[in-house]
Amino acid sequence: MSNTSLIFKPSFIRNPSQNGLGRYVCQLQRLVLKFCKNNGSSRGMREFIEEDLIDFAKSNSGIVVYLKPRRHRTAVITAEYLNGDKQWINCRNFTKVEILKWLNLLKTQQGDTTGTRFLKLQHTEIPSIQGPWTPYTFRPPSLNLTNFPEESISKLSEKTSATKELLELYEQQKMKSKGTNL
Amino acid sequence: MFLIRNSRTVCNRIFTKNFNFTYAEKNIHRWVAPTLRELKRRKDQLGPEKPSPRSSFLEWNYEAELFAFGKRLGENFKRDILKQALLHSSYVHLQKQENNLEDLKDNSELIAEGSNIINQYLKDEFLKLYPRDIAESFLKYLTSDNMMAHVAKHLGLADLLLTEELPVKELTLANTLRAVVAALRLSEDLERSHLFVRDFLLTQLNGKTIFDIWEPENPIEYLNDLLKVKGLAGFEARLCNQSASNTILANYQVGLYSNKTLLGIGWGENVETAKNTAALDAISRIYNLN
Repeated sequence: MSNTSLIFKPSFIRNPSQNGLGRYVCQLQRLVLKFCKNNGSSRGMREFIEEDLIDFAKSNSGIVVYLKPRRHRTAVITAEYLNGDKQWINCRNFTKVEILKWLNLLKTQQGDTTGTRFLKLQHTEIPSIQGPWTPYTFRPPSLNLTNFPEESISKLSEKTSATKELLELYEQQKMKSKGTNL
Repeated sequence: MFLIRNSRTVCNRIFTKNFNFTYAEKNIHRWVAPTLRELKRRKDQLGPEKPSPRSSFLEWNYEAELFAFGKRLGENFKRDILKQALLHSSYVHLQKQENNLEDLKDNSELIAEGSNIINQYLKDEFLKLYPRDIAESFLKYLTSDNMMAHVAKHLGLADLLLTEELPVKELTLANTLRAVVAALRLSEDLERSHLFVRDFLLTQLNGKTIFDIWEPENPIEYLNDLLKVKGLAGFEARLCNQSASNTILANYQVGLYSNKTLLGIGWGENVETAKNTAALDAISRIYNLN
């Protein structure tokens, strides 16, 4: 994480009101496209309105699109979401394709996410089904019937140490190599 | 002498011109800052702005909004019935006071009808899976004004409904959702309104456990009664594990057994709470709640 991203608000991806569990509802409810009818900076917006807007509105009939011509002012997209968020995008000198891409982003997100940084790209409310580990998980059931102190449990383990095992392996290798030489 | 003096002024002019060219002039006039400051002062004097409904904006087309509302949810509402469902009595009252000509019908009938549909459907669904007392507490949880208002807001009803109050109260939002369910029944059929309730209201239980919503006051007594009803033998509690006793991290695990079979197992910082959680576990196992 770089220093510049520290100013963004950290968040997880969210799903408002269990959307998509029953049926999917597009969270973008309203769009206002503001543009100037003769200024050059709104040219892309005008082209988009002339050529692609009808198709966009037809394929997304759940979004209300308003057009707001304003003289000599920059082209702007204002998006309103079901959760009450309102997002404002400056579209000065944007091309038609850029505007279409922005609209595609707006209609696929759940709210205004500008100024936020995702901590992870996935999220779950139930991180573990098994539950946390406790000292009693996976405890051998035979311990239920033992009377403490039990001699067999408190004995030192007779396992060979790792160093000793390695030395043994080394000895075995030596023997083998001697055998092959003969 | 004249010529020399004249040439000097010309030189000066050229110099100042060049000076202006190399070091750009400040573009913001001296009057801008004081004017903005004065405007800010007057705005502060007026106090905070009153909240205005979205419908009072210039870019607002009620018919288009209603069309989009139906399409968004994938439902075909009859326009006049939907309009009636969004019309609250306070708004009708206001309209009648202003001009007596309009004959508007408010949504109070639809609210009652929608409430019946929702209650009946949810009750039937819950009783298929859960005993009566649990089903009732689920029903109470889902049909509370708080929950209904939350769902209504996320369907975009807050901007569409017509009421006098601003900001819109929770009860009004919840009532609008009830009326919309009734409007769906009138527009299409009862099955469609049931699907609507299932998809938007019933799904709110996702991620909740039973004991988040319902909890018996005394789990041990509840379990005793339950075992009697089921015709099972009474249970005995056994301490299965314990650690760190006599410290603040004390931990006990209690299991409830009936005829040497485990009914439920639970934890606690003392034996009493461990017994209660074990009883809750036993209840959820008997009812098959997990």
